[in-house]
Amino acid sequence: MKESKRPELKPLFLERMEKLLVEKKDFESYLDILKVVPVRSIRCNPLKISVEDLKKKLEAKGWKIGQPWKKSPDVMIIENDLVPGELGRALEHLLGYYYIQELASMLPVLSFNFEEGEKVLDLCAAPGSKTTQISAKMNNTGSVIANEVSMGRLRILASNLERCGCSNVVISRKDGSALCKRLKKYNDYEFDKILVDASCSGEGTLRSSLKTYSMWNIKTVKNLPKIQFDLFMNSFEVLKVGGEIIYSTCTHAPEENEGVVNRILKELGDEIEIVEINLPVKVRKGVTEWEGVKFDKRVEKCARVYPQDNNTEGFFVSKFRRMKND
Amino acid sequence: MIDRFKIFNEKEKDDVLKMLNKQFGVTEIPGVLLSRGAERIFFYSGDLDKRGIVELEQTIPIERIGVYFGKFAEDKFRLSIEGVHLLKDQINKNIFELDKEQADLWMSGSELNIETGFKDFLIMKYGADFLGCGKASALKIGNFIPKSRRLKLKN
Repeated sequence: MKESKRPELKPLFLERMEKLLVEKKDFESYLDILKVVPVRSIRCNPLKISVEDLKKKLEAKGWKIGQPWKKSPDVMIIENDLVPGELGRALEHLLGYYYIQELASMLPVLSFNFEEGEKVLDLCAAPGSKTTQISAKMNNTGSVIANEVSMGRLRILASNLERCGCSNVVISRKDGSALCKRLKKYNDYEFDKILVDASCSGEGTLRSSLKTYSMWNIKTVKNLPKIQFDLFMNSFEVLKVGGEIIYSTCTHAPEENEGVVNRILKELGDEIEIVEINLPVKVRKGVTEWEGVKFDKRVEKCARVYPQDNNTEGFFVSKFRRMKND
Repeated sequence: MIDRFKIFNEKEKDDVLKMLNKQFGVTEIPGVLLSRGAERIFFYSGDLDKRGIVELEQTIPIERIGVYFGKFAEDKFRLSIEGVHLLKDQINKNIFELDKEQADLWMSGSELNIETGFKDFLIMKYGADFLGCGKASALKIGNFIPKSRRLKLKN
C-alpha cells in the first residue's frame, strides 16, 4: 500500500478519535490507514454499458480490475498504478461508462432496495455520486428529484447526471428544508425513498481530502447537528407511510451521527422505526454514549464505517421507515 | 423572469421523430421531450407526466429536467452525445465508422479533415462506442463534443 505525506492532525480531533476507538491497537491502525493512499474505485454505469463489457474494455487498456463486493459486481477497483488523472481522462469515463466514487460513499444507496417506478428524493445531491447510483438502480424509471442549494455545485451535479445519461432526474435548487416544506404545503408530494446525505464535518474523508486536516474544527461539529436534524425532520414530512429514509454523513463525530438519530427517535416516537442495514463491508454499531450523554439504545442499529476496517474512507449510515402519519 | 419548461405535445414530438427517422432510422423516442429557452431540447424518461411537471415547476425551483437531447439545426435535428447514447440501439443510418486515431482526434474536440462526399449530420462511431454527432461538409466533419467531455491527447 502506497503512503503519502499528510499534515498534522489537530490535538482535539485526535483526542476525540481516541475516545471513539478505545483500544490502543485500533486507534493506531486508524492513524496508520490515514497515511495510505485510498484505493481507486469506480462504479459501472449500467445505463450505458454492462459490467462484463466495461471490465473487458478496461482490462484491454492494461488495467487490473478487482470486484471487491460479490453482490455488487458493478463496483470495481483498479489494482494497478495509473498515471495521475488517468481515471478521469479515460474515454470510458468521458462516455459515462463509469463513475469515479469512493467505496464508502456507495454505501448509503446500497442500503436501499429500489424498485423501478418509485419516487425518490436526494436532498443534498451534488456532486451527483449517489444520484447517478440511484438513477442506475432504478433503470431510469420512476422519478428522482435531486436537490442542491449551491449554484456552483449544482453545475457539477448537472454535468455528472448528463454524462451518466440519468434521464429520470429533475434537478432543483433550494435549501433542503425549505424545498420539503414547499413540496408538502403546495403539492402534498410524497416519496417512497429519501436520501439525506447531509453536509458534515467530513472527518471520514481525511484520506482523500487534505483540506479536511486544516478545515476541521469543533465549532462546526457542534453547530451542524441542528441543521442536520432540521433537514431530516423536514424531509420526513414528505416521506410516504411505509417509505424509507437514509440519514448518512461522511464523519465520525457522534454529535452529527448518533446524536442526530437520538433526537429523531425521541421526536418522532412511534411514527418512525430504525431499521438494521446489511452492507458489504465490516461495520460497527452506533455508539450509545458520548461525552456523558446517553443515547437511545436503538442507535446501535446505525452503521459506523471506519477506514481501518475496510481500507475505505469513513462513513455513517442510518436507515428508517415511516410507520404512520402524526 | 426565468422561462418555463415547454413540454412537447404529440405532434411536436412526432416532428422530431420524423426527422430522426429520416436522418438515422430512429423509430421511437422513449420519453418526454421538453425545452427551455430557444434552442436546447431535453429528454426525460421519468414518470412525471405533463401535468406533474407543470405542478412541480409551480412548487419548487427546477433547474433542469432530464438530459440534453439535441437541437434543430438547418431543418435537421442535431443529436447531443447523450441523445445518441439514448437512441444508439435504433440508429442504423448515417453512421460514420472511425479508426482509433480518428476517434481520439474526434474525442479531443477536433474536426476531422475527411471527404465524406455529402453534407449531413452523421453519427460518429468507433467500435461499439457511439461518439456523438458530427456535421459533414464537403471536406470535413465538424465537431460538437462539449469541452467537459473532451479527451486530452498526449503530445
